[in-house]
Amino acid sequence: MKLGVFVSDYQTAVNTLDRLKSDTLGIFLVQNGVYHATIAENGKGSALLDAAPRIYALREDLETRGFAADAVDSRVKVVGYGDVVDLIFSDYPKLAWL
Amino acid sequence: MAKLTIGCFSSLVGSMSLDFAVKLAETAVEKGHEVDFWMSGNATMLSKKGQKSFKDYSYLDKRIRAAMDKGMNMCACEACAEARGYHKEDTFDHPKFIRKSMDWYLASCHTADRVLHIGGE
Repeated sequence: MKLGVFVSDYQTAVNTLDRLKSDTLGIFLVQNGVYHATIAENGKGSALLDAAPRIYALREDLETRGFAADAVDSRVKVVGYGDVVDLIFSDYPKLAWL
Repeated sequence: MAKLTIGCFSSLVGSMSLDFAVKLAETAVEKGHEVDFWMSGNATMLSKKGQKSFKDYSYLDKRIRAAMDKGMNMCACEACAEARGYHKEDTFDHPKFIRKSMDWYLASCHTADRVLHIGGE
């Protein structure tokens, strides 16, 4: 099963993600969740970025918070709402919201 | 084209989750998909008529009406609205908007290709 998980807050959601079983896990960082893509503590990025092979961050929510695309961790792909809709229908039959 | 059902259980007008849900819904509609939008709990605030636009404040009323004009179906939980003092006469009118029980949401999920359930806080 391919699962897309929306992470909407800057909290460590890794424990929850670990309990989600899926063949392919994609994480959508939205709202304050985009801070996972931009903030490094002690030189290290968010542990959440290691939790899935595909991680996306919503461009509009990044820009709202003053982050340009070059501030985003290289493991994260910046996407727009249109991309999110396309990914939902093409790649992720099951969706969850954290 | 496919069907997306969004269930929004949060939040008050001005919340990020409600903004996100509406923007996702209108984008899906623009792309030609069928969208059902269920509002429950505090999200039923979105169906309150008479919302005003203020600078630097979220104003979704006009956007959801535009999305409904393009075919989006919206439904507010009748019990949730009544519990918050929003009666039928307090909600806006649109042919694509109704108030129903959660049966509507469950039926929509059953026939949807994708379901995004945004929980309450």
